[in-house]
Amino acid sequence: MNRRMQRVLGMLLALFSLTMLPPALVDLYYDEGQWPAFVAGFLVVLVVGVVLWWGARHATESLRLRDGFFVTALFWIGLGVAGAVPLLLVEAVHLGVADAIFESFSGLTTTGATVLSGLDSLPHSILYYRQQLQWLGGMGIIVLAVAVLPLLGVGGMSLYKAETPGPVKDNKITPRIAETAKALWIIYLGLTVVCALGYWAAGMTLFDAIGHSYSTVAIGGFSTHDASTGFFDSPLIELIAIVFMFLAGANFTLHFVAWRTRSFGHYLRDPEFRLYAIGLLVTALGVALMLDLMEVYPDPEESFMHGLFMVVSIATTTGFATDDFSAWPGVLPILLLLTSFVGACAYSTGGGMKVIRWLLLYKQARREIVQLIHPRAVLLVKLDGVAIPATVLTAVWGFFSAYLVVFGAIMLMVMATGVDHLTAFSTTAACLNNLGPGLGDAAANYADMNANAKWLLVLAMLFGRLEIFTLLVLFTPTFWRR
Amino acid sequence: MDLKVAQRIVGLLLMGFAVTLTLPLAFSLYDRDGLYIEWVDSMLITAALGLMLWYTARGGRDQLRLREAYVVVTGFWFSVSLAGALPFFLTMAPFISFTDAVFESTSGLTTTGATVLSSLDALPRSILFYRHLLQWFGGMGVVLLGIAVLPLLGVGGMALYAAETPGPVKDAKLAPRIGQTARSLWVVYLGLTVLCAGAYWGLGMSGFDAVGHALSTISTGGFSSHDASFDYFQSAAIELAATVFMLASGLNFALHYTAWWRGKPKVFLEDPETKLYFRLFWIVTAFSIFGLIVTSQETPLLAARHALFTVSSVITSTGFTTVNFSLWPGMLPALLIFLSMIGGCGGSTAGGMKCMRFYLIFKQLRWEVVKVIHPTALPAVMISGRKVDNQIVRSVWGFFFVYATVYVIIMLGLLATGLDEVSAFSAVAATINNLGPGLGEVASSFASVSDAGKWLSAFAMVLGRLEIFTILVLLMPEFWRA
Repeated sequence: MNRRMQRVLGMLLALFSLTMLPPALVDLYYDEGQWPAFVAGFLVVLVVGVVLWWGARHATESLRLRDGFFVTALFWIGLGVAGAVPLLLVEAVHLGVADAIFESFSGLTTTGATVLSGLDSLPHSILYYRQQLQWLGGMGIIVLAVAVLPLLGVGGMSLYKAETPGPVKDNKITPRIAETAKALWIIYLGLTVVCALGYWAAGMTLFDAIGHSYSTVAIGGFSTHDASTGFFDSPLIELIAIVFMFLAGANFTLHFVAWRTRSFGHYLRDPEFRLYAIGLLVTALGVALMLDLMEVYPDPEESFMHGLFMVVSIATTTGFATDDFSAWPGVLPILLLLTSFVGACAYSTGGGMKVIRWLLLYKQARREIVQLIHPRAVLLVKLDGVAIPATVLTAVWGFFSAYLVVFGAIMLMVMATGVDHLTAFSTTAACLNNLGPGLGDAAANYADMNANAKWLLVLAMLFGRLEIFTLLVLFTPTFWRR
Repeated sequence: MDLKVAQRIVGLLLMGFAVTLTLPLAFSLYDRDGLYIEWVDSMLITAALGLMLWYTARGGRDQLRLREAYVVVTGFWFSVSLAGALPFFLTMAPFISFTDAVFESTSGLTTTGATVLSSLDALPRSILFYRHLLQWFGGMGVVLLGIAVLPLLGVGGMALYAAETPGPVKDAKLAPRIGQTARSLWVVYLGLTVLCAGAYWGLGMSGFDAVGHALSTISTGGFSSHDASFDYFQSAAIELAATVFMLASGLNFALHYTAWWRGKPKVFLEDPETKLYFRLFWIVTAFSIFGLIVTSQETPLLAARHALFTVSSVITSTGFTTVNFSLWPGMLPALLIFLSMIGGCGGSTAGGMKCMRFYLIFKQLRWEVVKVIHPTALPAVMISGRKVDNQIVRSVWGFFFVYATVYVIIMLGLLATGLDEVSAFSAVAATINNLGPGLGEVASSFASVSDAGKWLSAFAMVLGRLEIFTILVLLMPEFWRA
């Protein structure tokens, strides 16, 4: 780590320490006596940040492209560790280091896997803190990289590029990054506010409404209740959640255009959005039909609501639940889990491989088969009538294989720690796709996983959130050679 | 498209297949097992079917066009798999269902080696020998396919072998190429089989077992005439011989030809695919030995013996067993399943994706990572110092994606037929990689799988054997339009 990175990291940590004050205020309001932990966390992270910054305050040159990868990884790891500090200090839960780190990373990467149980009886401050971590994580995904880091003197575009290898990296939405970021931030905030109001009006308490809107718009999945969304037992609340998960899983630049031009036609013209919407609908109907045929629920409406909610929640990688889907019969649990590999759209807060990549993978695979029929033809892969350059296509293939290789490797290592096959498969998928809930032993929560497995899964969350390559390049000798 | 040529060839091949049934018939007559009428019936019916196909398509063009090869190859494997079921159905009635007969026949012909039969030791020798024979002929077909047909069609990057591999065939026309390959390779194939049988016999197998097991070893099929498979013989020497011949059969037969017939054994040392194949073998073997010793499941010597045999059986997708590896600790069973996905070398009788594809994917992936670090670098995948054609690399990526997708779809299908997750996941690997044994419910036999599951598994075997694309091409509207 060189001095310019140290300076940026110090500033980020100092800024991040401020986010530990709202939970302290929540605690004072509810008078549950947990505020010292959050204030202590604030002070520890602030001091560490200031010390880091002070040691490198004279390094004024800005970051370079190659720093970007390291800084991006460092930034997530640093914040993830800092976020664990209050969780370690809080007396109401006795979390070990692995558990606290797991919970913090799961929050910041908007995964939503939890090691906590008995959520309903935990102090409000801790619950609020978890929800807020996810919201900040979601912000980190779409906003920090484009808005805050350029202000700190980081080469903005280079970092944005570092976070999203693949087809979207050259897709500049407006030349002024800071301005765009501000716009996206307003959209993110706006969605959160409207979502919270919706929840509140539909009958949630204000606390739950704000908390759940945080984790909905961030595609996170943390809840303040063990039963997740099922706790509220309200079709209206479920519908609101479905709408906002769907919106948060869509490309935010589409929302940006809608906000700018006050029109909605471009949603339907976007091939990724079309596939995303149709895919979700078809899968939801299929799942609902299977639930009804296998008589899991007494009436078709209930099958439909559960099917729709769970498909949207899992496929966008949110991870809210209205029921324990791991107990659904036959193919359904695995089918749902696999939809999270597709995930949400690019430029959203969702995880997975992203719809656009699957669209390109499908198109190119089809081209390869047609090429066998017409061996001499020059066939192009087109999106929206525009030919996709070969370099973008190979980048997508590379991403796909790297994703599967990382998935397989982490899964095998999780198995080696003694976890059974189904649990290892599902938890690795749930963490790499930033989904949250797994199957088998991790269906309810991750408390029973061993510490080594938790560290590996934290790694999986990071890999997923940083779109594999950002982290993968750090493992290559080429990167460290100058 | 003129399907008459294809139909005529399939008819001829069926008639040829009928002739081979004289061998089990001879056993039946010699042993007086009372099944000779059934063998004669099977022979006549198969011959009649073949004659009918041939007769109704006589006349017309002689030349087989490249595109029609897809129909011939697919038609051959499906029709012979069905025809091959006839003897099982007739000789074992009423103890075998039609589904089981087709499963067993397909498993034999695709050299998979998964079985639905039990109490093998008590079966008549004519049936046991027929099973071995099916695999041996299947293996010969696979070698022909891999060396003569697929490289010419360019399926999934196989065009690489057309240019790169030093071998007996250079002709660019299909029919002469097949003839040439068959003439030069059957000696190598037969020679290896004779050597293997001699070794087994010399080490203490009965003459029948030696020949039968040699047939299933060289074809990397995996059928045994004993329920206990190779554990029946209780001989480390036999296991070692099997290890050597399985590994040899996982190598490119075109290289075998050059090495032994032309007297240039050095080709193996220069071939990058062979090198990767052995490297993978040693790594996984060492890992397995380590795992077995660390968990103190076995003494070091026994661990080495079992690991050597099992890993060679899995990497070549043979499927012989001395121990039930599904009961091995931790990650080992899953690691072996992954290994079967990589499989042996192209142009061998082994299944899986083939080392060469894996090698190309790995190389390209490394370049993609480098490209992220040095965006202006112009990556090129090199093999033995020569640049690999872009089209081939693309084709391999396409193959990998389609393989993964088809894998998942078949797995979902098996889950829907009621298999549990681990069994379904491994059953697909066992069938699409032409391996044989899986984990969980399908660890030793597919007998308990539902009928729908068996049909799906049989389909997966053919799909894997024909490298997926060969069949998918037929499903494209473009194929029939052109």
